[in-house]
Amino acid sequence: MNASQNLWGRKLMKKKYILVLLLILGAAIAPSTWNVRAQDSPRRIEITAKRFEFSPSEITVKKGEPVVLVVKSADVAHGLRFRELNLNVKVDKGGTAELPFTPDKTGDFVGHCSVFCGSGHGEMTLTMHVVN
Amino acid sequence: MNFAKHHFLIGNKKQKNPLPDSRDTWNDGKEAFSHYCVACHGMDGQNTGVPFVDHMSPPIPSLASKHVQSYTDGQLKWILDNGIWPSGMPGSKGTLSDDELWSIVVFLRHLPPAGSQGTPDIYTH
Repeated sequence: MNASQNLWGRKLMKKKYILVLLLILGAAIAPSTWNVRAQDSPRRIEITAKRFEFSPSEITVKKGEPVVLVVKSADVAHGLRFRELNLNVKVDKGGTAELPFTPDKTGDFVGHCSVFCGSGHGEMTLTMHVVN
Repeated sequence: MNFAKHHFLIGNKKQKNPLPDSRDTWNDGKEAFSHYCVACHGMDGQNTGVPFVDHMSPPIPSLASKHVQSYTDGQLKWILDNGIWPSGMPGSKGTLSDDELWSIVVFLRHLPPAGSQGTPDIYTH
């Protein structure tokens, strides 16, 4: 092997080492970026509020997973309050409001409409099941 | 009649209020009370500003009176749920949630001074 071939060979080997190093770094970083992307996108659950019911009337979420309840009013002003979880959101007539939270305990929790909306207001409930 | 109501006719005597007797619960109760209870009882629960208070039969009692305050929490909740005969007071079960009704009980136990809350808006215009 002459000198020029030797030099070319050393350069090629150097490039291979750099490529392998980059691949290893990429493999190490990529999963953590995937995790960040997952955490940036909480689960969104759309809920329609109208006199006198929430639809759906039951939802299931996971402990520790971020959730956004997107509450839409189909008529008058409504609200959704989970007293045990210290969560409350109010939505204007015909409007939309968001309630972001991360459940930190399992169980079945009943939310009630928190803006008086008429004769059936007291019966407007949404049951949220928080599971592992 | 009062004896009969306190001991026989008004149920739920022993049930305890599941909500804490706190300022937050009181505020919730005041808000729930303001939806329509104020039309007959006034904003202070003592009939202030209610134009027909002297024309009802039987008369609307002050909710601060010994007669009303001597009911247990459970009995007050029962009255809120079912109304009270023969007064014409309607029941609110289903119209207000259980939590709202229990919070009103807390409000009733700590009514503001008579006249301190003014006249209900529905009677001022």
